[in-house]
Formats: sequence, structure tokens, C-alpha cells
Amino acid sequence: MSQAYSSRGSVSRIDASISVPVRLFIFSSLVWLLVASVLGVIVALKLQVPSFMGECPWFTYGRIETLQRNAFIYGWASNALFALNLWIMSSLARFELKSSWLPVLGGAVWNLTLTYGLVQVLLGQLNGFALLEMPKEVAPALVVAFVFAALWPAVAFARRPTGNVFVSQWYIIGATFVFPVITVVAQLMLLWCPTLGVMQALVHSWFYQNLILLWLGGSALSAVYYFIAKESGRTISAYYLATVGFWTYFLFASWTGPATLLGSPIPVWVQSVGVIASLMMLVPIVITAVNFFGTLAPRNGIAQSWNNTTLRFVLVGAVSFTLAALLNVVSSTRSLNALVRFTEFAQAQEHLTVYSFVSMVIFGAAYYILPRLTGAFWPSAKLVYLHFWSCAAGSLLLVVTGLTQGWAAHGRTDFAVSAAPGLLAAVLLLVGHFAFALNALGMLTAENAPSNRRAY
Amino acid sequence: MTDSHSSNNHSQRSSHEGSEGSSDSRLVEAHSQLAKNKEEPSEGFSSLPIVIVFLFCGFGFWAGVYLTRNAGGFSANTFDLDAPRLVADSGPKVFEADLAKGEKLFIQQCAACHQANGLGVPGAFPPLAGSPWPLGNDERIIKIVLAGLAGEIEVKGAKYVGNMPNIGAGLNDAQVANIVSYVRSAWGNNAEAVTDVKVKDIRKAIGGRGQYSPKEILDAHPLETK
Repeated sequence: MSQAYSSRGSVSRIDASISVPVRLFIFSSLVWLLVASVLGVIVALKLQVPSFMGECPWFTYGRIETLQRNAFIYGWASNALFALNLWIMSSLARFELKSSWLPVLGGAVWNLTLTYGLVQVLLGQLNGFALLEMPKEVAPALVVAFVFAALWPAVAFARRPTGNVFVSQWYIIGATFVFPVITVVAQLMLLWCPTLGVMQALVHSWFYQNLILLWLGGSALSAVYYFIAKESGRTISAYYLATVGFWTYFLFASWTGPATLLGSPIPVWVQSVGVIASLMMLVPIVITAVNFFGTLAPRNGIAQSWNNTTLRFVLVGAVSFTLAALLNVVSSTRSLNALVRFTEFAQAQEHLTVYSFVSMVIFGAAYYILPRLTGAFWPSAKLVYLHFWSCAAGSLLLVVTGLTQGWAAHGRTDFAVSAAPGLLAAVLLLVGHFAFALNALGMLTAENAPSNRRAY
Repeated sequence: MTDSHSSNNHSQRSSHEGSEGSSDSRLVEAHSQLAKNKEEPSEGFSSLPIVIVFLFCGFGFWAGVYLTRNAGGFSANTFDLDAPRLVADSGPKVFEADLAKGEKLFIQQCAACHQANGLGVPGAFPPLAGSPWPLGNDERIIKIVLAGLAGEIEVKGAKYVGNMPNIGAGLNDAQVANIVSYVRSAWGNNAEAVTDVKVKDIRKAIGGRGQYSPKEILDAHPLETK
């Protein structure tokens, strides 16, 4: 297979120009993904058997769970989205990167800083804010690294040859600018010159929702739009609505933070604004659903997508996004929120967004991008198959047990959450990720001649 | 996703390879056209846009109604939706006497007789500074301010035959509370302030009566000190 390919394998000039940074980002994301998956199994194991490694302070639940979440969000998802955003934007804007050492430098600083921060976490230097746990000196370095690593889509956008813009480009630009802003503001107001009392909780909820929904979610939505149009060869069905969908998504998602603080001592009108923002998320949800499924559904398109590796992952991601967003609307109503608050329910929702949506889309995109970037084939179709089904089953298990257990636990103090499904799910995900990493590393390392020849 | 399918998939891909960039240009181009030709009621026209517009307007309307009903008056101090009702149940909001207003009203209403320094005029008008009459039980002084006092009284060893009018009848509850609170705290006097609620209750209890006699008021509220 690969012999046949190498004779006519070719890498476009655009892909060749961004090849080095994109490879670095994908390679780093793979390493972090494996680290996070192993940690995920340890976390699940500690929930099942609390005495597991209980002697060692490094492996206390608080540290190891923090490590896992940060490695997953900042290590895996963010690195992979650097690669995705750069590749999609360069391709759409016909941009050839001249100085690829700058994003490489950014990626190196990002990953070294992250490593330093996570080692500090392991040693017990934690802040109390989720996803801001790393020591405060880490943040400025991360922001600087982000600018070097992730600003190139904006440069590509600014230098695009035609005035025409595809919806994916808006989402990438939006997501790229959201991350530095929320990180700088949150770091300043929480760690460097902390605001008073409950304001901290408010700032943190704002940061958290923006990070998940706009930086991760916005970037992934860009990829969903791109690959649905690209791989199905169809035009987006209600494309004129995409503008409204984009603006309402960025407007309302950034306001949903206070809805996660319902019932806490922040002014009640701020909470109500959060509830409204969560409900108004129905506008972008309806528009993206109409666009995604309206494009794919006619003429047996869903079945065709199911037979296409990239679209199968992207389809799962798109369905997960819609479900997660709808669940978020429902659970933001005051009466229902009072029941599921502080239960596994909220964690299952987050998992549906961060894993079943964002990560599955990244996987699908990687199956499309890597062959074009390296001029090689995916080494094993069986591993692709294994990857999809273990990850799909693992995340489904996590989400379903989280939602049902969270719901069953409401209003009870004697409810014991069963940790066994979580452990099984973590093992399934680990297996799937190893299959993916084997395949991807095979491509990143084994390929050689074609792309190098083409580059000159 | 069998082996045969996956190689099929790849061969499709390699046929795209050479024209990667240009196919993206086509994608961008086609969608820009779509974005421009949006309102043509052609054969592909569906009722979707209208339904969606109404739906979104419905969301917006609901959001407005929800916010006005659940905003707690946009107060920075309302942390609970039930708070306004709870406060209403617990009675009117707490009154705090404004001594500056009290002083101003005292100068206007009382200082002509009792003097701005509260010492009165020996032989004519009794002093308030250091007098036991305005101190102690606040009902005595509130009643005198509201209804007036006529007859012979003794203050700090000196006798006065006075005829104090019902000053408070022309003032509202808060104003009376401010004056009384001022008198009870000025010139070295040291008694706690009174509230408008207290004034209101006393005004209601005594009704539209005439001036008190010294005996009547002292029987009801004897002086705590001489």
C-alpha cells in the first residue's frame, strides 16, 4: 500500500510550509494524550480502590486528578488544536508559512512550561481554581507561548488572497483571540491581584466556560464545518444562517459562566443573565444542527459519512456537541439545576463536550490531515477501527453512567457512586488512544522521502 | 471501515492531492455565493427560515420576561430570588436617624425657644442640654414633640411655666425622629436614637389630642433621673 503511494505521493506546498510546526504540535499532543490517559486510569482506579498508592503524597487524588485534567486540556486538546487551526486556516487562506521556526519555538515553550507547571502540581504547588491550578508564574509564559504558537491562523487570515471567507475561518479567528484574553484576565484577577470574595468565583466560572466552549469548542466547530463540507463534497445547507450561528455562539457562550454558579452568593441578576445566556445558546445549537445534519442527511449522506473515517469521528463529535449543548440548556434552569448541582451529572456534561465532541473531532481531523502532511498512509486500518470503537464505547460509558448516577444521587446523602464503569471507560479510552498514537507515530516517523523531496 | 474500504478511501484522497489548494478555493467560493444569494424564493426555498426567525424571537421574548422577573431588581445586594419577599415579610427597612437633618430641623423649629446651644432661656424656656426630660424613655419626648406641653415644670432645679405647641404635628415621622435623635445626642446628651416607626406608632396611639399637662406626661413616663 505504502509503496504504491510513495511513487505518486505528494505534499502540497502549503502543507510542506507548515509541516514542521504541525508535526511538532501533533507529536506533543500525542504524548500528552497518552500521559493523560494513563493518569485517567490511575484516577479511576483510586476512586475504585482509594488505598491504591495511598502512601505516596505525589499520587493523592487531588494532585493526580488535576494533573490529568490539565494534561488533557492544555497538553492534548490545545496542542492538537494549534495544529488543526493552523492547517485548516492555511489551507483555506492559501497561506504559506515563511518562518516556521516561530510556531515551533512557541510550541516548545508551551510544552516545556506545561511540563514545569505540572511537575509543580505533582509536588503539591496547587491553586484552588480548576484549570488554573498551575503556579502563577506559569501563566504569563503560557500566554506568550500561545501567541507564538497559535497566532499564525490570524496572520494567514489577514493575508488571504480573496475577500471571500468560509465559516471555519471565523471560528478559528474567534477561538484564537479568546484564549489569550481570558487567560490574562483570569490570571490577573485570580492569582496576581485577586479580587474580593465571590468575585473570584464569578471570574473563574467565566474563564472556565470560555476556555471550554470558545477556545476548545470554537476551534472544534471550525473543524466540523470544514470537514463536513470538504469530505462530503456538499455545500453547507443553510449557510446564510452560519453568520448568525457564529456570532450568537460567541456572544452567549461567553456569558454562560454564572449559570454554573446558580444558588451561590453572587447577585441574583448575574445568575439570571447566565441562565438566559444558556437558554439563548439554543440559537447557535439549532443553527449548527441544521447546518451539520441538514448537509449530511439528504441522499443517504449519513451512511456515506459513516464509511468515511474522518466523517465518522466528526459526526460523533457533531452529535455530541448538540447533545451537550442541549443538556446544558436543560440543566441551567433553576429548578433542575438545584437537583443535579454538585453531582456526577455536571462532570458527565463536561466530558460530553471536552471528550465526545472536541476530542473526537480532533481525531477525525487528524485522520484527514496527517496523510496529506506526511505523504504516507495510516499504517493500520485495524487500529483505526479499534481506536474508534474503544473511544466511542469508553466515552459513551462515561457519559451515560455519569448522567444516570448524577441524577440518581440528587437529594440523597447516602448514595454511593459506583466507580467501576468509570474504570472500565478509562481503560477503553487508554486502549483507543494507544491505537491512535501507534498509527499516528507510525506516520510521523516512518514516512521520509516523498515530503522531503517535494519541499524543494 | 474494512481494509478494502480504507484503501478505497485513500485512493480517493490521493486523487485530490495535487489540487488541494484549488479545491479549498472552490469550497470558499461556493459558500460565498450561498451567503450572497440568500433570499431567493427559488425551488429550494423552504419554510425553515421563517420558522427559525419566529423561534429565535420567542427565545428572545422569553429571555426578556425571565430577566425582569428574576433579576432581583438588578440590586448588587440581592443574592437570592426569595430575598425581596423575605425582607418584605420582616417589616419595613431599617430606619437610620440622620443627625445632620435633625440639627437643621431643630434650628428651624425649636431653637427660637430652646436656643441653638440647647440651654434655653433661664426663667422662660427650659434647657434641653443635660435635662432629664428628653433622655431615658424616648416615648416621653416624642409625645411632647407631637402633642406639646403646657403647665409648670421643674428642670434642673429651676421652675418654668411653659406652653410648648404641637411642633411635631406639622412634621412627618422621619423628621420628628431626626429632631428627637438630634436632641438626645447633642450638647453632651447621650441617649440612643429613635426610629420613624416608633414615632409613627406613638402618633397613631395618641391620636389628635391637645397638649399634655406635666402631671399626665410624668405619670405615664416618670423621669429616670432628677
